[in-house]
Amino acid sequence: MNIALVLRLLSVILLVESASMVPSAIIAAFHRDGDLVPLLASIGIILAVALPIYLLVKPKDRSLRAREGFVVVALSWILMSVFGALPFVFGRFLPNYVDALFEAVSGFTTTGATVLTDFTNMPHGLVFWRSFTHWVGGMGVLVLTLALLPKLSDRTSHLVRAESPGPSLSKIVPKMGDSAKILYLMYTVLTVAEFMILMLCGLNPYDAAIHAMGTAGTGGFSNYGDSVAHFHSVSVDITMTVFMVLFGINFAIYYFLINRSWHDLKANEEIRWYLGLVFGAMLLLTVLLLPYYHTFSTSLRYASFQVASIISTSGFATADFDLWPVSAKMVLFVLLFIGSCAGSTAGGMKIIRVALMLKEGKREIHRTFQPRKVQIVRFDGKGIDESMLHSIAVFSFVYVALVLFGSFLIALEGKYDLITNFTAALTCVSNVGPGFHFVGPSGNFAGYGPFAKIVCSFLMLAGRLELYPLLLLFHPAIWRKT
Amino acid sequence: MRILVVGAGKVGATLAEHLVQEQHDVTVIDSDEDVLEDCQDMMDIMCINGNGANAQTLIDAGVDKVDVLIAATAGDEVNMLCCLIGKRLGARYAIARIRDPQYNESLTLLQQELGIDMVINPERATALEISHLLRFPFASNIESFAKGRVEMVEFRAQPGDSVVGVPLSVLTGRHSHLPRVLYAAVERDGQVTIPSGDFIIRPGDRVFVTGDTVTVTSFFDALGKNKLRVKNVMILGGGRISYYLAKMIVPTGIHVTMVEINPTKAEKLSEELPHVTVLCGDGTNMELLEQEGVMSTDALVCLTDRDEENLMTGLFAAHQKVPKVIVKNNHLNYTDIISEMGLDSMVSPKQITSANILRYVRARARTQGTRVEKLYRVLNGKAEALEFDVRAGEKWLGIPLKNLVMRKNTLVAVIVRRGKVIVPFGNDTIEAGDSVVFMACESGIHDINQIIQGTNIHA
Repeated sequence: MNIALVLRLLSVILLVESASMVPSAIIAAFHRDGDLVPLLASIGIILAVALPIYLLVKPKDRSLRAREGFVVVALSWILMSVFGALPFVFGRFLPNYVDALFEAVSGFTTTGATVLTDFTNMPHGLVFWRSFTHWVGGMGVLVLTLALLPKLSDRTSHLVRAESPGPSLSKIVPKMGDSAKILYLMYTVLTVAEFMILMLCGLNPYDAAIHAMGTAGTGGFSNYGDSVAHFHSVSVDITMTVFMVLFGINFAIYYFLINRSWHDLKANEEIRWYLGLVFGAMLLLTVLLLPYYHTFSTSLRYASFQVASIISTSGFATADFDLWPVSAKMVLFVLLFIGSCAGSTAGGMKIIRVALMLKEGKREIHRTFQPRKVQIVRFDGKGIDESMLHSIAVFSFVYVALVLFGSFLIALEGKYDLITNFTAALTCVSNVGPGFHFVGPSGNFAGYGPFAKIVCSFLMLAGRLELYPLLLLFHPAIWRKT
Repeated sequence: MRILVVGAGKVGATLAEHLVQEQHDVTVIDSDEDVLEDCQDMMDIMCINGNGANAQTLIDAGVDKVDVLIAATAGDEVNMLCCLIGKRLGARYAIARIRDPQYNESLTLLQQELGIDMVINPERATALEISHLLRFPFASNIESFAKGRVEMVEFRAQPGDSVVGVPLSVLTGRHSHLPRVLYAAVERDGQVTIPSGDFIIRPGDRVFVTGDTVTVTSFFDALGKNKLRVKNVMILGGGRISYYLAKMIVPTGIHVTMVEINPTKAEKLSEELPHVTVLCGDGTNMELLEQEGVMSTDALVCLTDRDEENLMTGLFAAHQKVPKVIVKNNHLNYTDIISEMGLDSMVSPKQITSANILRYVRARARTQGTRVEKLYRVLNGKAEALEFDVRAGEKWLGIPLKNLVMRKNTLVAVIVRRGKVIVPFGNDTIEAGDSVVFMACESGIHDINQIIQGTNIHA
């Protein structure tokens, strides 16, 4: 373990975090809700911790191995959440530190699960910060750091590999720093586009910004208790539905579009699965909801919004889907596992893994009656390596095992029922936000005790970083000297 | 620049590593996924899995926007095809590694017809490097410019050398007993200077002199350094490098003994190289070496396929006080240990090949004004030698050098006019069509007019 390098990278990431608090501080100064001082104090504390390390620790060996890469990513996400929670505590917005930490983790991991119960008189700066964590966490803080400081380390691929979602690392241009810049540029443009359209739909700039950032990171924090339903606007619903689907798409697709690389676009199989699943689920849910909403158009409106919200792992709500017929709820429950494309800002298991496991399942069935047939699992028109299939299968198992183990831990507190506890764990690992029953769209996580909240925070981080970086921290070998 | 490297083998990977360090955007194509995964982990590059001679793979890699395409796969034919397709699809420059001696004869034709801008033959390039080391055994570094007509030799000045303690203007003056070479650069205590006329060389300085091949040789003769001149060479291993090397050094009057283990190969070599004594036997066998008089040769060159054998035999020879031992080593991991053990002349085909390609790429990266033909980094990059082709129309043509205003810390090292080498002094002029080599103590120069800034004649 190259401790000096790890410390330096962590200090840089904290510096980036303190800088990312500045926009919220400006909003706070503008609105004068008394949350400027908490934000400035938090910036001060982060600087006081990170600056000395940054200035004093100069690693001699700047090459980053896989082990350091994973540790840096896991620790930086934990530290960011630990420090990102400070403004909430200082501002007496969430005076209990565990609550504040839960909210910060939920923000950075773009989960959008909340412990807030009272949505009145909220300080503008802190609520902006809460949503801004979605925006930063969506594309990744390390990716942002690399976009700003490409010369951070000699081998950055391990960092990005550990942070970016999906089974394999795919760069869009040869240099990691340039890739990060292009990603953030496209991300910003899409976010600003949504912000403008939401303003055109009649939202005030503040609400538009909160919801645009919530959509962009596929987070789901709203500044209203009844989420997007608060606006009672068809145009807002449609805009957000479209953008939630867009942010669930692999950003490489947008790069292909800009560069008119039709060949690459056509070869991408995941996008076809994704769009097929989105529209299929929307249609199915619309039909299932017809008895509940009576007209096709209303049914389509609520069904499509909720499908987009769950599959993109945002977790916004325009309706209390907990009251829907059980068949409709089942559709959403399945979508809670899947998530969106690799290389997007969304969570979940990712379409590509689910698709590959389905193909692998089909192959296994085929093998029983034609054992000698040589079968290759194809994706994007290319044969997939057996070792990749193997690791995806293991990932899927660990994913489900983590959800089960998490719900067991949550249930240890002895609160609520089986559905609530299980969907709470699932929605945390998948980074969606709402679950069913008491953690459904009309409920929240406030009823849980501190232990369950910490477990949930861990599950959210594990889900966002795709399990291994966080689980690796518990392996003693990683801390041994080399 | 955007650079596409096809083939992530020894040369390809080394090249990619250097190119990334010099801030280029590098994409690597290889058909082996495991190799690519390693590359992706080690370097900040883009990796594409596929056949580099397949047009679709090249298109996927964005060959139409690529500045330099480097084909370095194991197959000559694949490399040629790759360059041919790549050029048609829009790559600006194409470099191919072609190593089969049979293609070597028709190289110019191939280059023209296929549009390949540079052909690099690793074995030939390595042989050239070894031949330099044999011709100037005391030199630590030799570069050749202007298609091999001009040489720049680095040597360490020793106490008692006749260049020490005398101002350079006297050394190059009319009454000097030394042949007129140019003192291009001197490194003292890690500082590189381009010396002026009143500069005095001290013992321990690393001195670079340039001139045409003959003058440089006679300069070192006069200096008394060529006493160690190599007359007998023993080469172990009869591979391609050995073949090229023998072809190069036999005409200069060096007697070559070659040891090859494979009888058919040995026979063939003996047929192709009539002036070489070819022995069939195991070159790593100490008894054979002693029997064939390794102790009395002036130099031993170890070029077998196995690095370890080369090293061990080399160490043995060094121990037996063979004056010059040159060892081929493709795995450079142990360079430091080896030089501690007394072997300082090591050649690595992959390093030589990638260095040659890098020179070309560096020059292309600066090709905006008058074209930098080649760019050599010397003294660990502390100084550069830039080769330009001078075009007509420059306003300082025909004006004596002493009347030109030159950039600080630069020097005209050599002028090549119609194949003739001129070591320039104050009264010489630069004409259109000349090839000129400049020395500079800085990097970033890309235009000849950055060096020659004007004239001090007010006409």
